[in-house]
Amino acid sequence: MTGALALGSGLLLFLPLAGLNPFLLDLLTSGFFLASYVGSWDIVGGVAGQISLGHALFFGTATYSCALLTSLAGWPFAAAAGAALLLSTGVAAVVGTMSARLKGPFVAVLTLALGEIAHEIMLGQTFFSPRGTYSWGGEGGVPVTLPWEAPSPWAMYYGALLFLFLSTWGMTALARSKEGLIWTAISGSELTARASGVDVTRHKWLAFLVAGFFAGAAGVGFAAHVGRATTSDFSLELSFQAATFAAIGGRGTIVGPVLAALVLHALFQGAGIAPAARVILYALALLLVLRFFPAGVAGTLREKLRARKMVSGREGR
Amino acid sequence: MSKLLLAERIDKSFGRTPVLRGVTLAVSKSEAVGLFGPNGAGKTMLANVLSGLIPPDRGRILFEGNDITRLPMDARFRAGLTRTFQIPCPYPGLSVLESVRVALLCAEPGGGGGGVPRDIEGEIESVLLRTGLFAQRFWPAAKLSQGCMRRLEFARAISCRPKLVLLDELFSGLSVKDEAELAELLRSLRRDDGISFLLISHNPPLLAEMCDRVVAIEAGRVTWEGRSADLPGYLAVATGHVHGGQDR
Repeated sequence: MTGALALGSGLLLFLPLAGLNPFLLDLLTSGFFLASYVGSWDIVGGVAGQISLGHALFFGTATYSCALLTSLAGWPFAAAAGAALLLSTGVAAVVGTMSARLKGPFVAVLTLALGEIAHEIMLGQTFFSPRGTYSWGGEGGVPVTLPWEAPSPWAMYYGALLFLFLSTWGMTALARSKEGLIWTAISGSELTARASGVDVTRHKWLAFLVAGFFAGAAGVGFAAHVGRATTSDFSLELSFQAATFAAIGGRGTIVGPVLAALVLHALFQGAGIAPAARVILYALALLLVLRFFPAGVAGTLREKLRARKMVSGREGR
Repeated sequence: MSKLLLAERIDKSFGRTPVLRGVTLAVSKSEAVGLFGPNGAGKTMLANVLSGLIPPDRGRILFEGNDITRLPMDARFRAGLTRTFQIPCPYPGLSVLESVRVALLCAEPGGGGGGVPRDIEGEIESVLLRTGLFAQRFWPAAKLSQGCMRRLEFARAISCRPKLVLLDELFSGLSVKDEAELAELLRSLRRDDGISFLLISHNPPLLAEMCDRVVAIEAGRVTWEGRSADLPGYLAVATGHVHGGQDR
């Protein structure tokens, strides 16, 4: 597994040197941010077991904050990025507070509703430029004023790849920490966790907070790459994509969902398949994977690895 | 003996159906109390109320003199009042060792749970050795046998060095060997660590053997309370009453 990861990382590092065209570089760059966003879903939806269907809310909050603060308020991008990160984490804290006392399908329904409310608000919202020259908003979204004119695709690619490595490392470390252990316990049985002294509400809230932070960071990166925040950043499709990719990759493994998002995004977007057809293909991929890997690809591999370690008497998570 | 736990006039109803009616129960330090009654008598409901899983409608619960009536279950665990479940719900994604580690991580350091030592790994090892789960420490908790699962429940409940453990049908469905080993462990924990137990069971000989006192409840009411040695006498009278009633 580690060897495969090293191989994949090496491939991504040297791929641009093989003469990839700008379209593919751009596709992979946005794929890195999407993959990190899917990893952030896995913190709350996989490790902590709180099925959030409105995760795009945190991503969209970050992209729109970047856009509105730079284009409307005239903030420098770095300051807007910091504020966007704080805002997406704050929104996650509010959503976490509301859903931490709920269980299972109620969490899914609440997050779905909140995500859709934000999406609809942004669809109908118009923003005017400072001098009233332009009107922004609706489906077209809001531009992000960036400190650079035309960034090199290579620089963006390697910047995004570094971001993906760092965020995945951070999320994996968290999932393997004491806090991650408590999240996994809550995901397995809230009742037993409560009877073991776990303040379930507080830890579920914390999972939302952390997931919102990482989703926001991915959103900031995406906004910097694309140069625009659009309503699709809040869309139901983006929320569902996170849950689907995580199920395919293996919920609770972080690396599995990140890789699944990257591979499927590159395959289906790269092949130029229309969005409606992509949804069908995602569903098909999900069905096929769950048929042969019930816990997702990485999840099933991890279970087999654990079974082997169990026999040999070594610890491993 | 001073009272460790005192539940006074506990009432609990679901709609118009009363489940507990004015139940008063006390457990002293280092005491083992048995809770006996037929199916549906309200034993598990009383354990749920005492452990903080379900709030009572009326009445109050004191633990070490502090009112814990509205304290949630996790806070009671940290205060040193822990429990096992009749039907264990192990964490599917965690091993035996990790399951115990969760409980130890959440116990307050130096808090009411008797003070958790800093060497968590050493303490986990000690708990697993004591409960006979050390060999299975890397097994997925959900794949344990019934007997081992009950041992794990017990290990989780005693991991924070509690003052009182509520044991809901801990011995039901166990092999003779498992039952004997767990009974011996219970005795040693009482003797060496001064832990109190409230043992819920259908099994009068077991309660007579393990407990100092037994409280019998029926239809949500305490019907008898006395020394465990007197339990067979109570049962003979109670059964006689039933038979007498049937004869009439």
